[in-house]
Amino acid sequence: MPPKGPDSPPEESNASPFFTVPAPIRRLFDKFPLITYPANEIPQRLRPRHENINQLYVFADASGVRHGRPSFNPQCLKWQAYLKFVGIDFEITSSNNHASPNGSLPFLLPSLPADASNPIPSHKIQKWAIEQVHCEEEQQLNLRFEVYASLLDNRIRSAWLYMLYLDSENFNAVARRLYVNPTTSNSIVRAALGHQLQQAARDELLKTSRYIDAAALEGDAGGAFEALSTLLGKDEHFFGRPNPGLFDASVFAYTQLILDDTLGWKRNRLAQLLKEHPNLVQHRDRLLKFF
Amino acid sequence: MSSSFAAGDDSIFERLQQRADPKVLEEQQQAVNERMQAIYQKAQDRLAELIDENSTLPCTISSVQVTSAPHTRRSFLERNLSPLLSANKGRPYTLSEALREVSATADKLGRFDLFHQPISVYLDESQGQNGMRNIDVHLATREKSRVLMKTGTDLGNAEGSAYGNLLWRNVFGGAETLNLNASLGTRTRSAYQAAFETPILGDPDFRLEIGGIASSTQKSWASHEEVLKGGWSKLRWMSKSGHHHEFGYTGFWRQLTGLAENASPTVRADAGDSVKSSIFHSWVNDQRDNALLPSRGYYAKAFNELAGFGPLKGDVSFWKSEIETQGAIPIPIPGIKGDSGVSLTTGFRAGLIYPLGLESNPRPQLSRVNDRFQLGGPTDVRGFRLCGLGPREGVDSLGGDVYAAGSANLLFPLPRLGAEKPVRFQAFLNGGRLLSLQTSQKATPTTNGEVQDALVSTLSELQSGLPSVAAGFGIVYAHPVARFELNFSLPLALRKGEEGRKGLQLGIGINFL
Repeated sequence: MPPKGPDSPPEESNASPFFTVPAPIRRLFDKFPLITYPANEIPQRLRPRHENINQLYVFADASGVRHGRPSFNPQCLKWQAYLKFVGIDFEITSSNNHASPNGSLPFLLPSLPADASNPIPSHKIQKWAIEQVHCEEEQQLNLRFEVYASLLDNRIRSAWLYMLYLDSENFNAVARRLYVNPTTSNSIVRAALGHQLQQAARDELLKTSRYIDAAALEGDAGGAFEALSTLLGKDEHFFGRPNPGLFDASVFAYTQLILDDTLGWKRNRLAQLLKEHPNLVQHRDRLLKFF
Repeated sequence: MSSSFAAGDDSIFERLQQRADPKVLEEQQQAVNERMQAIYQKAQDRLAELIDENSTLPCTISSVQVTSAPHTRRSFLERNLSPLLSANKGRPYTLSEALREVSATADKLGRFDLFHQPISVYLDESQGQNGMRNIDVHLATREKSRVLMKTGTDLGNAEGSAYGNLLWRNVFGGAETLNLNASLGTRTRSAYQAAFETPILGDPDFRLEIGGIASSTQKSWASHEEVLKGGWSKLRWMSKSGHHHEFGYTGFWRQLTGLAENASPTVRADAGDSVKSSIFHSWVNDQRDNALLPSRGYYAKAFNELAGFGPLKGDVSFWKSEIETQGAIPIPIPGIKGDSGVSLTTGFRAGLIYPLGLESNPRPQLSRVNDRFQLGGPTDVRGFRLCGLGPREGVDSLGGDVYAAGSANLLFPLPRLGAEKPVRFQAFLNGGRLLSLQTSQKATPTTNGEVQDALVSTLSELQSGLPSVAAGFGIVYAHPVARFELNFSLPLALRKGEEGRKGLQLGIGINFL
């Protein structure tokens, strides 16, 4: 479309707070409109959703959405898995960061009509879930939770960012296919978006170190797997819980994607490191059954 | 004042100081004017007589001189002026023919927007070959300033903005212009635009424009911000009878982002990137006596766009058509000679988006919120909030695929100001419908067959019941830059969810329904 013509967008005057409409005139005004017809039908480009089911907006492809398969984004998968583990009914909707209230996926659109219009960003999903099903807030139960969670959020995440975005073979085979290509068919825009993604990953890694050293990142991740493996020991779930919880979801979010061969990794050093710890691999296999 | 000089001088000073009788002055002035007029008239008559007598006199034009054009290419001037020369003509002119051609050429040169208007023409006579009269043409040109910079602030329309504009005329000496524009505002957060324009084949009425834009606009009626990057190239031409045409290609990368907390699910579903690649044609014929406050004449515009289809690619695919008409007739009032200033203006607009398939996905691509039409507001269907008509979800106006809107305005001059002042009192009735494509089963179409069915049933839905209508009255002021309207209005009929506006509404714009 050519750029908008020079006609300025119109404005509406606001009623002055100092002026109140006298009652007879207000009664006359209230008669208008004289006729009110039923509402207009809403345009729906995308398949109508089930409005009475909680919707978790995640990165996913069409078939992933249909079958409720694990999202290919670790942050999304973490909350997707968590909601499954605590037994909340939901559907996933394929989306992108622009749709999110805080600029990143996932977020949840609850089905309850009272707050249906207000989405819940990821950092508030746990609080919401606790209100819904009265599950435990695991961070309160175990002091070591935060320490081990930081292993995931820093060491494993950094190695993941490097492997997915900065390893150019993996980037072209996996990240482009999953994140860039579905957004647009235009190759120029794809190139721009791909560049933005890689730059964002690079900036993220340079926040914590002055240069990017692949070997060091992988070494750190290997150490983190070691620590997690020791923490899990022979238990079914982390911290000896009978049912999987938020920490299991956080670990699963990475182990699942690292071990998922269908993603088409070209180089997967993290999988080699992870497979040195059979209990973590079994943990992942157990949790995958939820999907 | 020096009034204390020697007595002998007094009388002179007094006489000088004495104010001349204004009446006498006026008479003098009038006499001077009359005399000037008479001389001028005489000269004109003499000239006309001369030309008349000699109109068939054969003559040649041997040279054309442009007095000052330091920044204009010689080849450009030659291309435009050389056809005048008899050497390129093959046969001699008659005098009247020569004069006509000279004035047409000067007029054409003027339309390039290179020189200050008017371009004065001087003719010199010399003895030519074969005993024929020979004319040397001098065009007294003065180039307009080459670079024009403007900065300023704009206020109005619930929007404040600051802008900077650079116009570079005659970039390569062939009447090319480069226009750079940057603005920052509250609603249009930022916009940077560059456009290069050049006449084609030395014709001022046939131009090529190439441009690019990067902007970010707050679209509060649908709870989002649209970030736009893209470019266009288009041909513009104008026919002798005033038909303006544009034909071009546009490519835009649109990003729907920055959603409000309470954005509707439909807007959320449309969030993200999309590329529109389209060709378009627009035609405008404006025969109104005044674009902002017409009292007679008509205006018609048709816009057609084909996006995404076949080799155009992109992420959206549709055919979009829009028409816009306005007509005005003066209403004579018995007892008032000439224009009474009372007039009736009517306007009609309609539009349609027809979903098409993409090369990569032949299923019809249903419209997105940034491609759909919006309707309502003080400059189109008055008495409704901005984008207050059509399908609505939660707080968002989702827009529609089909619309029609019309208005009738009766304008009267104000008693004290009279018909000459650009101020009118108006009474209006306007309304419209904005609908999304729905099949006869009230479903969203998914196949080409269903789209056709949906188009038919949506068009017939346009006529079901009354349109959403509002009526009111107000004051119209046509400032040279924009038209201002302050109206009081009440909605008469509307659809549930549509946002009528009861009371006062201020409209500022140049294109009113």
